[in-house]
Amino acid sequence: MSRTIGLMFAAVLAAAPAFAHHGAGVFEPEKKVTVSGTVTDFQFVNPHVLVYLTVKGSDGKDVQWGGELTSPNRLARDERAVKWHKEIIKPGDSITMTGHPARNGAPMMDILKIVDAQGTVLIDDE
Amino acid sequence: MSRERSAAVATACALALWASAATAQVPTKGEHNADLSGVWTNQNLPGTAEWAIYTFSKDLPEMTAWGKARFDASKPQRGPRGVPVAETDDLVYKCYPPGTPRIYIHPFPMEIIQLPGRVLMIFEYDHLVRQIYTDGREHRTDLPTSWMGDSIGHWEGKTLVVESTNFNDKTWIDRIAVPHSEEMKLIERLYLNDKGQLQVDMRVEDPKALAKPWEFSRYYRKTDWTIEELMCEDNATYTPFEDALLEFDGEGEE
Repeated sequence: MSRTIGLMFAAVLAAAPAFAHHGAGVFEPEKKVTVSGTVTDFQFVNPHVLVYLTVKGSDGKDVQWGGELTSPNRLARDERAVKWHKEIIKPGDSITMTGHPARNGAPMMDILKIVDAQGTVLIDDE
Repeated sequence: MSRERSAAVATACALALWASAATAQVPTKGEHNADLSGVWTNQNLPGTAEWAIYTFSKDLPEMTAWGKARFDASKPQRGPRGVPVAETDDLVYKCYPPGTPRIYIHPFPMEIIQLPGRVLMIFEYDHLVRQIYTDGREHRTDLPTSWMGDSIGHWEGKTLVVESTNFNDKTWIDRIAVPHSEEMKLIERLYLNDKGQLQVDMRVEDPKALAKPWEFSRYYRKTDWTIEELMCEDNATYTPFEDALLEFDGEGEE
C-alpha cells in the first residue's frame, strides 16, 4: 500500500511542470493537442529532450512539429514506467505525441505523452 | 623489558585506550553523528508546488528599503513578476552559479558525502560543490567574496549545523529576486526527520537586505540515483527550439 502511494507520489513529482527556460505562459496549460507523424530528429540532450516529427496536415501539406520534454537525466532514472535511453526514439519512427500547444500557434508542444507505433506508451504525464 | 617498564607501558596503553574511549563519547567538531550521506531529491510539501519551484515561502520576506529597491529593480524570469529569458537579469541564465541557498530550489538531485572533518554536497545542477568543513576551523577571511559561500559546520547531536558567509551580492536568495548583500549569513540545520526525509531548516540573516531573518525549510527524499552530468552551457542546444517557439509569427508557417 505504502509502495503504491509512493509510486503515485513519484508520478505526481514526475508530472511536475518542466523547468522550461522560456517560463510559464508560452504553452497553454488548459489545452491539449495530439499529432501523429514520422520522427525527423530526436535529441536526447540537456537541458531538454527534443522531438521533431513531420505531420500530414488536414490540407495535405506536411507540417514540422517540435516538442520538448524534461532533462535526459530525469527520463533515464528508474522511477519511470519506461526508462528512457538515447535510442528510445529514432528518426523514421512513427509516433503519436500529446501535449500542451504553444500559445502563439507555433506547431510546438510541451510533451505530456508519447505512444510508439507498437502502442507502447513511452511517457504519460497527462 | 623490566617489570617496571612493562607496567609503565601497560599503564600508558590503558590510558590511551581510556582517552580514546572518552574522545569517542564526547563529540568533537570533526565527527559525524548521523549518516546524511546519499543522493537526495526535492520533495516539496503538499500544497507548496506553485511557489516552491521558485522561492522558499508563500509570502515574500520583509525587506529593508535597500532590499526592496533592489527587488523592485530586478527582472526575474520566474514567479509573478516573470519576464522572458531574453529580458531577465537573472545571472543563472548566463550560467553563473545560483548561489546558496538558491541552489536548493533547482529541481535536480544532490549528493551528500561525509568525510573526516568535511561534508561534501555535490549538486547535479552544473556540478556545483559545497565543501563544509567540520574540523573546527574558522571562516576564511583571506579570500574574495564567493557565489556559494564559505561554509563551516559542526554536529549538534544528529544535526549538522552549517554557517556560511563571505557571499558576493550578485546572486538572489531565490529565483524571484529576493536580494541579499555581502553581509548575508546563512545558518542551515540538516537532519533526518521522522519521515526519513533530509530536512534542511534555514535562516538567512542579512540586516542590509532583510528587515528580519528569513526562516524556511526544504525537504529531500533519498533515492538510489547517481549524479549525472548537467552543464549549464548545454542550454545552447535548446536555443534553436526556443527561438522557433518564441519567434513564430503565425503567418506563412505551413
